[in-house]
Amino acid sequence: MNPRLSGPGAWVLYFVTAGMMVFILAPLAVVVAMSVSDSYFVAFPPQGFTLKWYVKILQDHEFLDALQLSALLALSTTIGSLLLGVPAAIALTRGAFPGQALLKGLVLSPLIFPALVTGLALMQLLAKMGSGDARLNLLIGHIVVTSPYVIRAVVTSLLLVDFNLEDAARTLGASRLRTFWRITMPQIAPGVAAGALFAFMVSFDNYPVTMWLANSQYSPVPLVLMRQLVNVFDPSIPAMSTVIIILAVIGVLILERLVGLRRAAAM
Amino acid sequence: MSSDTQVLTAGNGSLLERIVPRLALPAAWLAVPILVFLAIFFFYPAINLLFFSLMTQDAKGVVGPPLTGAHYSRFFEVDLYLRVFWNTLRISLITSAIAIVLGYPVAIVMARSRPIVSRTISLIVIAPLIVSVVVRSYGWQLILANTPAGLLNWVLLSLGITSSPLALLYSPTAVVIGSLHVFYPMMVLPLASALGKIDPNLEDCARTLGAPWWKVFARVTLPLSVPGLVAGFTLVFSLTAGSFVTPVILGGTTATMLGNLIEQQIFVVYDWPFGAAIAVVLVVVVFAINTLSMRLLEGRRLRALS
Repeated sequence: MNPRLSGPGAWVLYFVTAGMMVFILAPLAVVVAMSVSDSYFVAFPPQGFTLKWYVKILQDHEFLDALQLSALLALSTTIGSLLLGVPAAIALTRGAFPGQALLKGLVLSPLIFPALVTGLALMQLLAKMGSGDARLNLLIGHIVVTSPYVIRAVVTSLLLVDFNLEDAARTLGASRLRTFWRITMPQIAPGVAAGALFAFMVSFDNYPVTMWLANSQYSPVPLVLMRQLVNVFDPSIPAMSTVIIILAVIGVLILERLVGLRRAAAM
Repeated sequence: MSSDTQVLTAGNGSLLERIVPRLALPAAWLAVPILVFLAIFFFYPAINLLFFSLMTQDAKGVVGPPLTGAHYSRFFEVDLYLRVFWNTLRISLITSAIAIVLGYPVAIVMARSRPIVSRTISLIVIAPLIVSVVVRSYGWQLILANTPAGLLNWVLLSLGITSSPLALLYSPTAVVIGSLHVFYPMMVLPLASALGKIDPNLEDCARTLGAPWWKVFARVTLPLSVPGLVAGFTLVFSLTAGSFVTPVILGGTTATMLGNLIEQQIFVVYDWPFGAAIAVVLVVVVFAINTLSMRLLEGRRLRALS
C-alpha cells in the first residue's frame, strides 16, 4: 500500500513502534549477550568473550537428552497431528453437511481451552488408565494441542483450492485418492507445510501440557531449562536459551520461505 | 512416474472404490478419527475433571462420592485463594489493557507503511512467538534483576538516575511486563489485520473535512477496528489468565496466579479435587471472557444491520 502516514501524529506512531521493537528484542538480546560472558555468574554487563558455556552444555547429558527427546517428540507430534488434522480439514471444507459448523468448533476447541487444564485433565485420565510411558503420554497431549493449528492452516489453504480442477480430474477418471495426491495436495502443500511447522514448534516449546505428563526420566527441553534455572547460576543457562533462540530463528526463516510470515500468522 | 505404475495406481484406486461402493463417502467421515481422538483424550478428561472437582477425597487419597460443592465454597471463602483469583484477573486485565494501548501504534504502522517497513515489523513481532516462554521470561529476569547486576538497574545506576537498585523483579509488575512481552503479538496481529481491511478513503474523507488526527482515530479508525481489538483482547486475557511459567520466573511468591495454585494443589498438596475445582474456575473465567466478546461483536453487527 502507499505510505499515508504523515504529519506529527506519524512521528509519534513511529516512535512508539521503535520503542516496542526494542522492548520485544531486548530480553532475547540480553540472553544471547550473557551466553558468551566470561564470568561465573550471570551478571550485567557481560565480561569478555568465551564459548566455554556452549562447550559445557554440549557435554551436559540432561540437556542433550532433553534436546533429543524434544526433537523426537515434536517430529512424532507433527506426523500424528497431520494424519488426524489434514482429513479433518478436508471434511470442514468439502461439501456442506449438517453440523459442519459445530464440527469446526469442536476440533478447534483445544485452542481456547487453557492448555494447563488440558494437560491436568489428560494426566488424570492417563493415570487412571495406568499408562506409565511418559513418552506416549506426552505424544498424546501434544497432538491434542497441536492438531488445531494444522487444521486451521490446511483449511485456510483448502479454501483457495480451485474445485474445478478436482472435478475435471474426477471426470477424466482419476480416483479420489489420486485426485487428492495429484491435484489437491500440490495446491495445499504450503498450508500443510506451515501447519506441520506450527505443530513442530508448538510441541517443541510446549510447557503447560508437558509439565503434567513428563517425568524425571523423560523431560523435554523447556522443563529441563526451567529446572536448571532454579539451580544453576552460571552462563550455561543463557547458552541453552541461545540454542533455543537459534532453533526458533531457523523455524521462522523456513516459515517465511514457505508461506510468508504475515500469511502464516493469520492462519 | 512411468505409464505402468500410473495404470496400476489408477486401477488400484478404482478397485478401492468398487469395493467401498462409493459409500457416497461424504467428506464428513474424514473427521471421524480426530473426533474419536479428541473425545477420548480431550472432551472426556475435561468433563471428568469437572466431576472430580465435585467429589470428596478421603484420608488415603482415594477420590469418590459423595458429591460436594465444598471445594468451590472453600476457594471463594479462604482469603488466600481469593487473593490469587483477583490477582489473576488483575494481571490479565492490566496486561491486555497495556497491550491495546501499545498495540495500536504498531498495528497502524504495520498496516499503513511501505511494504519493507511493514515486513520488518511483522518479522520482529512474530519471530519471538516461536521462542520458548521459559527463555523469554528468563530474559526479563536478567533485565529486571533486583541487584545492580540486572540490566535495567545497571543502566539506571550508571546514568545516575537512581542511587540504589530498584526492586522490580518478583512483583506483579514484573509479571505484567513479562506477560505483555509473551502475548503482545496476539494483540498486534489481529489489530493489524482489522486495520488493513479499513478503506483508507474513509480516513482521508474525515481528514479532508477537517478532523484532527485524534478525532479521525476516535471516530473512524477505532470503531472500524473493533473486531480486531476484541479478538486481541480475548486472546491476551485468556492466555495471561492461564499462565504458569511467567509468574514463577518473574513473580516469585508475590504474584501467584491460578495456574500456579493448581500446580501446587496437585503436585505439592496432592489435593486432587481442590486442584480440579480451581482448574474449573480458570476455565469458567476464560469462557466467560470469550462469550462476552462474542456477544459484544454480534450485538454490534445486529445494530449495524438495523
